[in-house]
Amino acid sequence: MLKVEGLRAGYGAINILWDISFSVDAGEVVAILGSNGAGKTTMVRAVTGMVRPTAGSIQFEGEELAKKSSRFILDRGIVQVPEGRQIFTEMTVLENLEMGAFNKATRAAFSKNLDVAYRHFPKLKERAKQAAGTLSGGEQQMLAVARALIGMPRLLILDEPSLGLAPNIVDDILEVASGMAKRDRIAVLLVEQDITKALACADRGYVIENGRIALSGTAEALSANEHVKKAYLGI
Amino acid sequence: MEIFLQACVNGLLMGGFYSLMGMGQNVIFGVMKIVNFCHGEMLMVGMYLTYVLSTTFGLDPYLCVPFVAIIMFCLGAVIQHTLITPSLGTKSFTNLLFLTVGLGLLLSNGALVIFGSEYRTIPTSYAQTYIGLGPVNIALPRLISFCVLVVISVVLFAFLKYTTTGKQIRAVSQNPVGAEVVGINARRIYILTYGIGTALAGVAGALLTGFYTIFPTAGASFGFRALIVVVVGGLGSIPGAFFAGIFLGLLETMVALFISPSYSDLIVFITFIVILVVRQMIIIRRK
Repeated sequence: MLKVEGLRAGYGAINILWDISFSVDAGEVVAILGSNGAGKTTMVRAVTGMVRPTAGSIQFEGEELAKKSSRFILDRGIVQVPEGRQIFTEMTVLENLEMGAFNKATRAAFSKNLDVAYRHFPKLKERAKQAAGTLSGGEQQMLAVARALIGMPRLLILDEPSLGLAPNIVDDILEVASGMAKRDRIAVLLVEQDITKALACADRGYVIENGRIALSGTAEALSANEHVKKAYLGI
Repeated sequence: MEIFLQACVNGLLMGGFYSLMGMGQNVIFGVMKIVNFCHGEMLMVGMYLTYVLSTTFGLDPYLCVPFVAIIMFCLGAVIQHTLITPSLGTKSFTNLLFLTVGLGLLLSNGALVIFGSEYRTIPTSYAQTYIGLGPVNIALPRLISFCVLVVISVVLFAFLKYTTTGKQIRAVSQNPVGAEVVGINARRIYILTYGIGTALAGVAGALLTGFYTIFPTAGASFGFRALIVVVVGGLGSIPGAFFAGIFLGLLETMVALFISPSYSDLIVFITFIVILVVRQMIIIRRK
């Protein structure tokens, strides 16, 4: 579904990603792993068009997206839950979710998708009229995920959903994402620093180090890998 | 007592203009985080526009308001698209400072070249009509203007609160990154907000012409007061700007009544500084 090859990107004169290749298929949860500063978020920004790649290709269902605008890519169904959530804190929960409907199709299906989002995260329904900034960190992360679901993703990208959250909340969020991958056959790209959690939920994974893919394989193979154990799991 | 009530009413009616100016400045600042230093000059442009429309076509100044709003919106949109948006990319506050101050100079000197320095008014049959309300006499043009600007304020508030575009404007002002994530076109929102801000200033100018003289630097004092309104009323808050504007108008007339009209600017700015200092102290204490 998504096939990235030889992706190179950065900010101005500073290059961050050197040569990134990976793929995600429908119905699959793929983890992109790496420590702080490895280039994970830059990769997300390059795939979603918020940073213009300097080389390489990003193919989504056969269409080249590498030079396209973030809006164009969003319209193709690549929706992200960004790092740091990026919700609208002074707007209500419901207004935040409304903002997730970014085009005609998603606006037409809004009430149906809102029900789905509320079913996944009932807390949000209780707090629909509350300002988003008054929610707890976990609820804000749920809101960011729910906002992405309103956009009817075909590829859902989660950037560091575990950051600063209690483990059980992270589990809930990852369960929703992997449930959607299996049930609705969407592709999920999980970008994480918490490798244990990510590999527990993912089918396959890639490890980024210094802007390059250092390792790849099934979740089991990566969990068993000596380098991963030593460098990331502290075993 | 009668004089006091009269002063209150006059302050209220004048304060409405500061509110309108403040709201325009507030919308622009909220979305782009820039101070629009030519906001007062836009009011002046609105005044001359009304003057031209009304002398050329014989229109009543109040009937000019919708036309002024549309023309000023377009002017603002063009300025945003051709000048401000490209400068925003440089992320340099100084660039935008010089740009908007320069535009202001250009506009007021342009008006001086085209219309000369003489004071102009638009004569109307009802300019000297007063409505008695108990002990208070209200000049009809001031009353009409105030009613119109209250309606505009309510419409603006409702637009930002309930429409999709209004929500997108708020989204961009609260979190530009989040707005890009959900596919909001920031450039379009910038054009809209600067257009709206400019139109609000222009309409304030048009509404003033019923009882105020028109001259090339007429906007300056309103421009400064708009800044005060934004700071006092709170960034991004439309109701806050509205009430801050009214407060400012009342403060001015009270100073004029109890001290002297020539001190009103002085006291207004001292109050402004005091509010800033007190607010800063509260913020520090909270931390």
